[in-house]
Amino acid sequence: MSLRVLNPNAEVLNKSAALHMNINAAKGLQDVLKTNLGPKGTIKMLVGGAGDIKLTKDGNTLLKEMQIQNPTAIMIARTAVAQDDISGDGTTSTVIFIGELMKQSERYIDEGMHPRVLVDGFEIAKRATLQFLEKFKTPVVMGDEPDKEILKMVARTTVRTKLYESLADQLTDIVANAVLCIRKPEEAIDLFMVEIMHMRHKFDVDTRLVEGLVLDHGSRHPDMKRRAENCYILTCNVSLEYDKSEINAGFFYSNAEQREAMVAAERRQVDERVKKIIELKNKVCSDNDNFVVINQKGIDPPSLDLLARAGIIALRRAKRRNMERLVLACGGEAVNSVDDLTPDCLGWAGLVYEHVLGEEKYTFVEQVKNPHSCTILIKGPNDHTIAQIKDAVRDGLRAVKNTIEDEAVVLGAGAFEVAARQYLVNEVKKTVQGRAQLGVEAFADALLVVPKTLAENAGLDTQDVIIALKAEHDRGNVVGLNQHSGDPFDPQMEGIFDNYSVKRQIINSGPVIASQLLLVDEVIRAGRNMRKPT
Amino acid sequence: MREIVTIQVGGFANFIGSHFWNFQDELLGLASDPEGDSVFKNQCLNMDVLYRSGETHQGVLTYSPRLVSVDFQDAMIVVVLIMDVYRSLRIYVCSLNVAGSLGSISSRGTLYNEASSVPSDVVTWKGSVSTQASEPHKKNLFLQSLYEEEQENLTHKRNGFQREIEDKDIVECLDNGVQFWTDFSKVHYHPQSLYELSGLWMDVQEFDNYGIGRDAFSGSFQGEDICERLRFFVEECDHVQGFQFIVDDSGGFSAVAADFLENIADEYTNTPVLLYAARSPTSYINLRSRKQTVFRHLHDSVSFSRLAPYCKLIVPVGLPSLSTSKASTFLRIEDEKAYHCSAVYAAAVHSASLPFRMEPVGPTADSFAVSGAVDVNGFVQMLAGQARQNMVSILDVAMPAPPLTGKQGEQSLLGSLQPLTPEVADNVEDFQAVESMIVHGALGSGGHHASVSAVKDSVNAVYEHATSRPMFCHLSVARCPLPIPLPFPSIFGNLVGQHGELLDSPISGSKLRGSLDVHSIPMAARLRSSSAILPFLQNRLGNLRKFGIERGALGAELLRSWRFEKDEIDDMGETLSKMVTALVPNDELSSDSD
Repeated sequence: MSLRVLNPNAEVLNKSAALHMNINAAKGLQDVLKTNLGPKGTIKMLVGGAGDIKLTKDGNTLLKEMQIQNPTAIMIARTAVAQDDISGDGTTSTVIFIGELMKQSERYIDEGMHPRVLVDGFEIAKRATLQFLEKFKTPVVMGDEPDKEILKMVARTTVRTKLYESLADQLTDIVANAVLCIRKPEEAIDLFMVEIMHMRHKFDVDTRLVEGLVLDHGSRHPDMKRRAENCYILTCNVSLEYDKSEINAGFFYSNAEQREAMVAAERRQVDERVKKIIELKNKVCSDNDNFVVINQKGIDPPSLDLLARAGIIALRRAKRRNMERLVLACGGEAVNSVDDLTPDCLGWAGLVYEHVLGEEKYTFVEQVKNPHSCTILIKGPNDHTIAQIKDAVRDGLRAVKNTIEDEAVVLGAGAFEVAARQYLVNEVKKTVQGRAQLGVEAFADALLVVPKTLAENAGLDTQDVIIALKAEHDRGNVVGLNQHSGDPFDPQMEGIFDNYSVKRQIINSGPVIASQLLLVDEVIRAGRNMRKPT
Repeated sequence: MREIVTIQVGGFANFIGSHFWNFQDELLGLASDPEGDSVFKNQCLNMDVLYRSGETHQGVLTYSPRLVSVDFQDAMIVVVLIMDVYRSLRIYVCSLNVAGSLGSISSRGTLYNEASSVPSDVVTWKGSVSTQASEPHKKNLFLQSLYEEEQENLTHKRNGFQREIEDKDIVECLDNGVQFWTDFSKVHYHPQSLYELSGLWMDVQEFDNYGIGRDAFSGSFQGEDICERLRFFVEECDHVQGFQFIVDDSGGFSAVAADFLENIADEYTNTPVLLYAARSPTSYINLRSRKQTVFRHLHDSVSFSRLAPYCKLIVPVGLPSLSTSKASTFLRIEDEKAYHCSAVYAAAVHSASLPFRMEPVGPTADSFAVSGAVDVNGFVQMLAGQARQNMVSILDVAMPAPPLTGKQGEQSLLGSLQPLTPEVADNVEDFQAVESMIVHGALGSGGHHASVSAVKDSVNAVYEHATSRPMFCHLSVARCPLPIPLPFPSIFGNLVGQHGELLDSPISGSKLRGSLDVHSIPMAARLRSSSAILPFLQNRLGNLRKFGIERGALGAELLRSWRFEKDEIDDMGETLSKMVTALVPNDELSSDSD
C-alpha cells in the first residue's frame, strides 16, 4: 500500500478483480475479431468521423484502426501484430486463441483453481502440441523446381479468406508466379523484390503480373518518347542537377562576370556527366535501339533537354528499392558515378512505355530477359477495392514464401486443431500427474476455437459440427470442416493448406501471453481511472 | 522557379501549417479578385514555389500545396472494455472520437474524390458485411459555409442566393470551438499530403516523449510510406530549393521527425532543410512533480540534439506563455488555445518564407513590389554558414509592424521585434550576429503601404542609429501585407486598425478584433544568429548532463527506457556542447579553462 501513500490517485485492482479484468479484455478483443475468421467471415466496413470509409477483413489492419484503451487488450494486440510481422498471417487466429485460453481458464479459476496450476498445464500442452505439429505436418520437397500446385493451394487458402473465389483464384496464380520469379536457389526470398503497384483504373479482374517493373513516374520532358522498343537501361544514382550548395564553400568572386563564369563552370560539370551518358548511348545503340536512363537522384531541365535531344528517355527520382529491382529485372548494374561507364552496366528491356492517368504517370519496363524481379499491378475502380486486393496479395505472397522456406504445410479447415485436441485429451493428459491435467484440458478445448469459429461464421451449429468432427476423427481420419455443408471432409482433397510456421508461431505465442495475463494478481495504475472510459 | 516542399509533423505543427496555408490561399484569392487592392494584385510573389498544379482523373485542374503532413490517426473503432459491478462483461465498441487529429476532414482531401466515396457495394467480397460507423464529426459553421459555397459554385445558382451563415457567427464559432486543425482550414489538400500514423494504440496525450515515438516511424513500414509521399512531391520538382519543415517537438513526434529528417538527409543530401521546432504553450504546463520535471527536461534536450544534426538551420519557436510575452503587446491571446497561438507563429513563418518566392528581377533593378530575394540555400548559408557555424536561429516578430513614420517612428521597429524563441537572453551585445530581416506591407505616411525603397531607406536608417549593430544584416522587403483570412482568431487588441495601423486611442466597442475588423496587417520578422540563444543551448546541455550523463543521474533510467545507449547520450552531449562553445565569446572561454 506504499503506492497509496505516494500517490493517492493511483488505483489498485487486486487478486480476482485484476484477473477478471484481464480475462474480460481478452474475451472482448476476441469478440471484436472473431467474425473475421475464415472464408465465410464478414468484411468490416469502418466509417470514420469524417465520413471516411475503410473496408477490411484483415485482422492486422483492423487492429491498427482501433483505438484500444484497456492495457491488457493492447498487450494482446501487440502480440498479434508481432505475429503478423514475423510470419505474415495469423493475426486474427492469435487473438482468438488467446481469448479462448483465457475463457477456458476462467471456468476453472471460478471453481477455485489456482492460475499457477493452469499455467503449468499450458506449458506441458504447448510442448506436446508442438511435437504433434511436427508429426502432423505434410512435408513438401522443394528442390530446384518447387511443386507449383502445392504453392498455389496454400496461397489459395489464404487469399480466399480475403477475396471472393474467382478473383482469389486469379490472384493465386499471380502470387505463386511472382514468388517463383524472384526465387533464387540457395538464397532467402526477399519479397521486396516483388513490387506492388496500384492503379485506379478498370476493374479488379484486370490485376496482373508484370514480368518487369512498373514505376510510378514518367519522363519529365515533352520530347521524350512515350513508347520505345529494344531499350538499353541505365540504372544510376548520379545527380544530374546543378547543385549550388555543393560548392558554396569555395565560391569567391569580386565582380559579376567572375560570378557568371563560376556558375557556368559548375554547370559544365553537370553537363559533362550528361555527355558521358550520351557517349555511352551512341556507342551501344544502333538504329532500332533505344536508351533509357533511370536515376535515383534528380535531373534538372537543362540536363533533360540534352538527353532528350540525344533521343534518350530519362526518369528521375526513382524509388531507392527500384534501383535493386531494376537490376534484377533487366540485368546490368546500378552505377553511382558516370566515370566508369561501360556497356556491361546496362540492362535490357524489350519494351518501355508510359501510361498516363490524370496527373499520375506510370512507366512500364517489360519484356525483359530472365527476370528476378517482377511487379504485381493491382487495378480496381476505387481505393477500397485496391486496398482489399493489396491486403490479399500481401498475405498470399507471405504464404508462398513461408511454404518454400518451411518445406512443409499443415492441413487446414480446422483439421490440425481437431487432431491436436484429440491427441492432447486422449494421450497427453494421461501422462500428466495431478491437477495440471486440467490445464492440458483447458488448452485442448481452447484449440477447438478455430473450427468452432469457422462453423459459427458459416452459420452452422457449433455443437453439431464439433461432435461430428470428433467422431469422424476417432474413426481414424484426418478431418476438417466443410464450410458449405457443415460436414466433415478431408482438407487434402479440397487443397486447403495452412502455413506450418504460422501455426507454430500461434501455438508458441498464445499460451505465453495467456499465462502472463493469468498470473497477474495486481493491477496498479497511477492517474486515470481504468473503470471509466475516458 | 525553384520549389519548396513543406513538411509538417505533429499536432501543433499542423495547426501552424493550417494557418500558414490559409494565408497563402487568401493571397491567391486576393490576387485574382478583380475588385481587390492593387497591393495584392501585384505581389510579385511566385506561389508555384509552394504550390503544385495537377489534374484529376476527370481532367479537372487542381492547385494544391506541395505538402506532406504527418499526424495522429483518427481511430475508427474505439474499443472500451468495462467491467461493471457484477463482473459481467460489457464491451463497448463505440466511437467516442477521443483521439485523432483530422476531425471532420477526410484524409484523402476533397479534390480528387471519386463521385461518391461510399462504395455502393463491396466488390471484392461476396460474404456478409458488417458496418462500424463512428459518430460523424459535426461540421462547424465555417466548414458548413465552405461546403455550401462549393455547392453553390457547382450548381451556378447565383441569383437570389442568401448566405445563410453569417460571417460573425463563423468567427465566434471558431473562436470558441476549434478542436482540430482541420476545423479552420480552407485549403484543398492533395490526397498524398495528409498521412496518419496508425497502430500506436494510445492517446495523443500519452504520445508525449521522445522515447515513445521512436518506433512510430520505422514500425510497419510507415516511414517508408511517408518517404514515398515526399518523393512524390519532389519528383515533380525541377529543382528543389529546400524543405520547410515544421515539427511539434513537444512529444513523440519529435522522434518521428528526427527519423524522417535522417532519411531526408540521406536521400536529398544537398537540399537544405529549414526546421522550425515549434511547441504550444500548453506543452509547458503539467510539471507537477520533480519526476515530471526531469522527464520534460530530458525530452527537450534529447529532442533538440537529435533534430539539429539533420537540418541546416533550426529555429526553435514557442514561448511558455505567449499571451504575456512582449511579442503579443498588441494581441490578446489565450495560451490554452492552439488556434490562437499557432496563428502568430504561422504569421512569422509566412513572413520568413517570403524571400524564397520573390521573383528575381535582375541583379541591380529592384521591382517596385519586392526586394531582397534569396533562396533557402542562400538564406541558410547566410545565417548558419558564417564563421561561427551557428545553426540555431532566433525568430523575432513584430505583429503588427509599427509604421515607418510618425512619432512612434523609426527607433521602434527594432524595439518592437520580439522573440518567439524561448529562453533567449535580452540585451546581448554580439558583434558577430547575423540577421535576416523581412518587412512586408509596412505602412508609410498617411497610412499607405510604403514603397519598397522607402522601407529600405528607413530600415537602414534605423540600423545607423542603433546602439548595437549586427555584423551583417540582410533585408527583404515586400509591399504586400499579411492578409487576414476569415478563419482567423480574434486576437487583435483594440489598438489595431483595419489595415493593421497602430492607433493612438483604443477603438470603442469590442475588445477583441478579428478578421472582420482587421483586413491585413504589416509584418516584420527577423531571424538572427546571435549568442542570445546561449541560454537555450546551455539549459539543454546542462539538463542533459545533470539528469542523463552524470553518475547516478536521476534520468539515467528513463533514458534507458527510451532505448538510448550510453555512447548515444554522450554523442548528444557532444553535439550540444559543440553548439555552445561555438557561441561563447572567446575571453569567457579562456577564463573558463583557467
